[in-house]
Amino acid sequence: MTASPTTPLLQASAVRIGHGRTALLPPLQLTVCAGEVWGVLGPNGAGKTTLVRTLLGLHRELAGKVRRPQTIGYVPQRSELDVGVPGRVLDLVRSGCERGFSVLVPFWERTRAPQAQRALADCDLGDLALRQFRELSEGQKQRSLVARALAADPSLLVLDEPTSAMDLDAERELFALLRRLAARRGLGVVVVSHQLHQVLQVATHLLLVDRDQDALVAGVRHDVMHHPAFRQRYGQALEVTP
Amino acid sequence: MTDAPALAEFFAAWDLFRAPALAGAVAGGLLGVVGTYVVLRRMVFLSAVLSQAAGLGIAGSWWLQVAWGVPAGLASPTLGATVATAGVVLAVTVGRALGGRQRDALLGWTYLACEAGVLALGTRVVHELHDIEELLHGSAVAVTDDQLAFLAWTASAILLVHAWLQRGFVQVVLDEDGARVRGLPVLALELVLVGSLALAVAVTTRTLGALPVFAFTILPALTVLRLTPNVPWALLAAGCVGAACGFAGYVVAWRWRLPVGAAQALVAVVVAALGWAVGAVRGRRE
Repeated sequence: MTASPTTPLLQASAVRIGHGRTALLPPLQLTVCAGEVWGVLGPNGAGKTTLVRTLLGLHRELAGKVRRPQTIGYVPQRSELDVGVPGRVLDLVRSGCERGFSVLVPFWERTRAPQAQRALADCDLGDLALRQFRELSEGQKQRSLVARALAADPSLLVLDEPTSAMDLDAERELFALLRRLAARRGLGVVVVSHQLHQVLQVATHLLLVDRDQDALVAGVRHDVMHHPAFRQRYGQALEVTP
Repeated sequence: MTDAPALAEFFAAWDLFRAPALAGAVAGGLLGVVGTYVVLRRMVFLSAVLSQAAGLGIAGSWWLQVAWGVPAGLASPTLGATVATAGVVLAVTVGRALGGRQRDALLGWTYLACEAGVLALGTRVVHELHDIEELLHGSAVAVTDDQLAFLAWTASAILLVHAWLQRGFVQVVLDEDGARVRGLPVLALELVLVGSLALAVAVTTRTLGALPVFAFTILPALTVLRLTPNVPWALLAAGCVGAACGFAGYVVAWRWRLPVGAAQALVAVVVAALGWAVGAVRGRRE
C-alpha cells in the first residue's frame, strides 16, 4: 500500500535522547511523511546513531514520545553484519519478510515470495538472487540489505551509514536508488550519512545533529542549509563542493 | 604395537556397542544443530562454560548422594546438570546488558568456578573419582539402553522445537536489531534458544562427558559453514556431521583403544580441518 505524500509516518514530539539520565541533545520535534527523504548529518560522535536507534525503538527515549508506523525497514551499519554466514541474496531478502509472530507460522516467508521478488526487482538484484551474499561487491551487498528491508513492505525505510566502505559510483547508485524508492513506493526514507554532497542531492529534508553546538535542527532542506548551525558546521565544505 | 581388531568384529558384537555408539551419534547430531547457532552468534565460550557447568552439576549430585545421603531420585546427575546449566543461562540472560568485555569476564569466572568446583568435589566423592575423570574428558563406554532412550527422546523434542522456530532463531542470532524493529518476540526466542542449548548440553554431558560435548557444539558447524549455501542447509549438514563424528569417534576409540571422548573430539577436529581445507580451495576457485 502506498501512503499519500502528506501521511505522517514517524512523529517525534519533544523527544530527548541520551544514555542513563544524561540527555545528549536538545529536544527533537520531527515529522517524517510519505515520499520524503530525510538526511541525518553531523560529525562523528554527535549522537546520530543513538538518535536513529531511539526513533526505531531500539533505545529508550529520556522524554517525549515517538509515534512509529507499523512496519519499518531498517538497514543497520555494515559493521554489524557477519559476511562469513552462508546465504544467497534470495535467502537474505526472504528473511526480511518476517515480522511480529510470523516466525511461529511454518513456511510463512514462502507465502511472501511476491514481496521478496518485488524487493529484488526494485533494487535491480533479479540476476543476483541466487548468488552468495559474501561474493557480492560492496554496492551490491548494500542493495541486498535495502531489498531485505523492503521485503516486509515497510512504509518507512531507515538506513544507518549505508555507504561506508563503498566507492563513489556505488555511493551515487545507492542514493539514486533511495530517491527512486521514495518516489515509486511512496516511502519515507531516513538516511544517516557522512556523504554531505550525496545527501544534499537526494534529501528533501535534513536533520543536523551537532553536540558541539548543542544543536538539533530539523526541517526542509533549504531551511536547514541556511541555519547558522549548519553554516558553521558545513559552510566551508559547501563552498568547495562543485 | 598391538594389532587393531578388524571392523567386522565391532559389528559382530553390535549388541554390546549399540547403545554407546548410537548415543554418540544422537548427541553429536543434536549438538551439531544447536551448536550452529553458537558459532553464528560467536558464543563459543558460552558452550564451553555450559559443558563445564553441566559437569559441576553432575559432580554436585554425586556429592549430595555420597556426603549427604540425598536419594538418587532427588539428586540425579541429569537433574544436577540441568539445574547448573539453567543457572548459567539465567546469569547470561541477566548479564546480556553488560558490555562485551564484562560479559566475557563473567563467562570466564563461571568457567573457572565450575572446573575448579568439579575437581574439588572429586576429592569428596572418592568412589566416584573415576566417573568424574570420565565426565571431564568423556568416556561413553557404559551407556545403558535407558540412558540412550532418554537422550533420544530429549534430542527429538529439542530438534522439533528447533525445526519449528528455526527462522526466528536465525533472525535473532544474525540480526537482533532488525528483528526488534520488525516486532519479532526477540527475548522469548532467545530464551528458548539458549534454554534448549543448556538442556542439550546438560543431557549430552551426562552421557558423553564435557570434552566431546564442547567439540560437537563447535566443530560440526565450523566444518559446514563454508560449504553450504545457506543457514538451513548448514543446520542440517552440521547435524549430519555431528552424528557421523559421534559414531565414528566411538568406532575409532574401540579400534585403536583410545579414550572415547578424546577419540570423538579428535575425529571432529580432523573433519573440521578437512572442511576448512575444502572450503578454502572452493573459495579460491570462485
